[in-house]
Formats: sequence, structure tokens, C-alpha cells
Amino acid sequence: MKTIRIALIAAGVLIVSLLIVTSAAAHKDKHTPQQLKAFEEAFMEQVRVGDLLFHGDDAIQKKLNVTMSRTGTACAMCHPFASDTHPHEFPKFQEQIGQFGTLRDMINWCIEKPAEGEKLDPDGTAMKALEAYIYWSNRGSKLDPGRH
Amino acid sequence: MNEIDRERRELHKTLRGAGERPDPSLRITRRMFLHRSLLTGGAVGAASYGWFPLISTLDFMVGQAGAQPTSFKFAWISDSHLYPKDVNTRFVDKAVRAVKEVQAMNPPADFLIYGGDLAQLGDPVELDLGNDILKEVKIRKVFIPGEHDWYFDMGQKWRALFGQPNWTFDHKGVRFVGLDTISRGPDYWTAKKMSPKERMGHMATLDGSVAGAWAGVGRDQLEWLNKTLSGWSKDRPIVIFSHNPLYEYYPPWNFWVRDWREVHEVLRPYGNVTNIHGHTHQVLYNEIGKMRSIGMLATAWTWPYAPEGVPALTKCKVRVDPGDHFDGVGWSRLTLTAANRVDNEYMMWRKDVFADAAVDSGCADNVNQVLHPRVADQEWVYYGAYK
Repeated sequence: MKTIRIALIAAGVLIVSLLIVTSAAAHKDKHTPQQLKAFEEAFMEQVRVGDLLFHGDDAIQKKLNVTMSRTGTACAMCHPFASDTHPHEFPKFQEQIGQFGTLRDMINWCIEKPAEGEKLDPDGTAMKALEAYIYWSNRGSKLDPGRH
Repeated sequence: MNEIDRERRELHKTLRGAGERPDPSLRITRRMFLHRSLLTGGAVGAASYGWFPLISTLDFMVGQAGAQPTSFKFAWISDSHLYPKDVNTRFVDKAVRAVKEVQAMNPPADFLIYGGDLAQLGDPVELDLGNDILKEVKIRKVFIPGEHDWYFDMGQKWRALFGQPNWTFDHKGVRFVGLDTISRGPDYWTAKKMSPKERMGHMATLDGSVAGAWAGVGRDQLEWLNKTLSGWSKDRPIVIFSHNPLYEYYPPWNFWVRDWREVHEVLRPYGNVTNIHGHTHQVLYNEIGKMRSIGMLATAWTWPYAPEGVPALTKCKVRVDPGDHFDGVGWSRLTLTAANRVDNEYMMWRKDVFADAAVDSGCADNVNQVLHPRVADQEWVYYGAYK
């Protein structure tokens, strides 16, 4: 029994070591233009999904099975160009929520309260896409976490 | 100094000669606005400021020198953005509140100007709803259109309800002009074979990139304006109502009219011109040449200040509470007093309208913010908005 346990631990250590070596090796090669393009496309795909969600697109909400508003309103109606979303100032004490929170917490507060929609899964596809769009729209803003 | 500021200063210098200002009969004093609910007895807090830049109450003389004082009030409501009642009751509630308050004015206003964007998506149901709500106001009403009223059926329903989109009338020594700044947008729909709903959807997206620079007065209307004013004495007061501001504030959101330079050329001979506009959903004040410009509140929702182009003469509104949908919105009461002055009071449904400290300012709040235009409404394969 003890032999089996030792064998299993040894096998586990070997697998983890192999994964680390493989993973490290992947970063030893210089990035190719194709790789960089693929990385950017993966990001911009999410930005575009987030853009449409942010602007109240029905088709993308249906596709992702989310309901962000029940009043006909969309995030962009109060936040054109994602202004006044201030992703660079999170995390912070969020006055409306009454506690320390993240951008995702505030997105869900806005969806639930002013827009009267259904909160998103904080780790779900729609939330990540919204986050991508908001950060992308605010790129270049000065980081100032905690600022009210 | 950015490009807008440079151009604004250049035009300002061209239009306003050395030592010239808007006509001295348009004397401005500035008083911090106190909500009526805070006023007790005759005690009204008042403070005068220098010429720049605080605007909360605008006083201006409208009578000619030596003329008998004339007293009247008028009210402005705009940007109600009504959906059908079964979609959204919040915007309806706020429009109803503004209408009731206008109707309750004592003494009553001589007229109400509705400054556009009564509907959200130009749906005849929305326009009928707005018209029904406004029927509660029994005084004279005049209307100019907003882009949200127009691009579903190209103004057909709006015209049927409210008539000609531009007009003029004289009232107690003031020439009032209503301009249509929304109907001359470039045709972005025919080539793309958009449905009326799609066309309206793009127009209704403030930060969209499809409808383009749609705000403008147009050559025909400029000629009409020139003709309309030509018989009016150069020093007598003119008040021009428009949905969009008649200067360049922030073109990506059509916070301008694209032919604003030509507008100012037409107005150049007149020393007593005030433009009162909607569309921007925020407290704004500016002077270009000898024209002053005042931005009005929306009843539906407030907008953040644009990332650039906020006039230096504007004292920014206070940051509002997004959890209270009555915050940051309202209407305007313009009162011609017995002393022949008109007070513009922002009837915002909160205690403080203007920010004093940076931490409370709708402008200073964005000091760390850099913004970029959206991308997904032009080319993306998954694009399905407004289908």
C-alpha cells in the first residue's frame, strides 16, 4: 500500500515537473508576429462582444443568455465611450454598494439597480467581455485605485 | 491648447471686436441657485461673482433702454426620451413631474418651449405618449425636434403633432427663434438598406460611429435665419432655441452643429443673442463672439461631460447619484423679473446643482480619464444591433 502511495506521489511530481518544463519552454521562443496578432485578436474579439453588450445589442445578449436591462436602457446611454466607468479607479470603497468592491461588482450593481436587469455571473463570458470593452475604451487612463 | 480651443478662440476673436461683449443690456449676475424647497421666508442666499466663470442664475435685461419694464416667464423642458409605458415608466414619471411643475408655476409661464427628444426611438407610440403628457400644460407650447423624434419616419409623426420644425415669433420685445438642427443628417441608411428601426437605432446611439456628423442648421435654414433677423434691430434681444448647441463642444457626440461657423457669421451683427439648447443633458454655459449659450437639463438622464471641449466658462454640475433616477435631471425656469431681468434657474431635483469642491465635480471627477471611440458598430460579423 505504502509502495503504491509513493509511486503515485512520484508520478504526480513527474507530471507537474513536465508541465512546468513544457510551459517554460513555450516562453523561451521569441514571439512571432502571427502569435502577437492572435493574442490581439483574442482580446479584440472580447472587446467587440463587450461593446455590443454595453450598447444593448439584443442578439448578443440572447446568444450569451443574459438580460442586462428591462427598461430599454443600455450602459452606453449613461456612459458614452464608457466614460464615467472609471475602471482605473477600482478596487475602491463604492458608495452606492456601501462596501469595498471591484469593477465587476459595480457593473452588476448598475445592471441590477438603474437598468433593472439580471446580475451577470461575475466570472462569466459576458462579464469578462464587458470588462474588456470598458478597459479598452479607457486605455491610457491614469491608474488611481481607491479614488472616489 | 487643443484644436477645439484654438479654433474657438480664433472665431471668438474674429466675431468679437476689441472691447466688445454681448450687449450690456444683457447684464449678467450670477447667484448660487437654491432649490425652492430650501427657501424659507425672504432669505435667499446670494453671491455675486466676477464675469467668469460661474453660471447658476443668468440675469439679462430684455427691454430697450427707457422702455417700460416687461415681466414674463417661460419654461424649458426637453430630452424626455420616452419609451412606450410598458417598457419604461421611469422616464415617464420624470416627464410627468416636470410638466406638473411647469403647470404649477405661479404666476404662470407665458409659454413652454419643448426642446426636442420627446421620444427615444421615434416610435409614434412614444410621440403620442409625450404629446398626451404635455397636454397637462395649458399654457402656450412651442416645439423643436430632436434626433430621437425624427429618424424612424423622417419626422412624419412629429410634424403631424407639432407642425413646422423651425419658426419665429416676437414676444414682449424679444424675438424668439426655433431652429431645426437635426433633420439634415447625411444619408447613412440607403446604401446599407437599413430598415427605419435600424436607421433610428444608429441615430439614437450617442457614441455611435454610423450616423456621423448629423447635427447642422443647413444652408436653406441659414438663409431663412438671416432673413428672419434682417428686420430686427441689432441691439434688441434675440433668443434662439435649438436642440444642439450652436458651437463646437464635442463633435463625436454631436455636441455641436457642423456649420456653427456659418451660424455665427449670420448672427455677427447682433449684440444681444442668447442660445438655449438641449441634447447635452448637462449644465453648460459658453460665449462665442457676442452670443451666449446655455445648456439645459434633460428629464430622462444626465450625461457625463465630454472628454474635451467643455467651455471654460462652464461651472460644472455636481456628481449625481446613479441610484436615484431623479438625480441630475430636471427642467428650466426662465423668469423675466419686474426689473426686466430673466433668471434662468436649473430646476434640478436635488439640493446642489453646481460643484464647489473637485471631489464633487462632474468635470474634475474625470481628471484621470482617457477615452476612445467604440468599434463594434461598423464592421463586426456578429453585429446585430437594432435589427
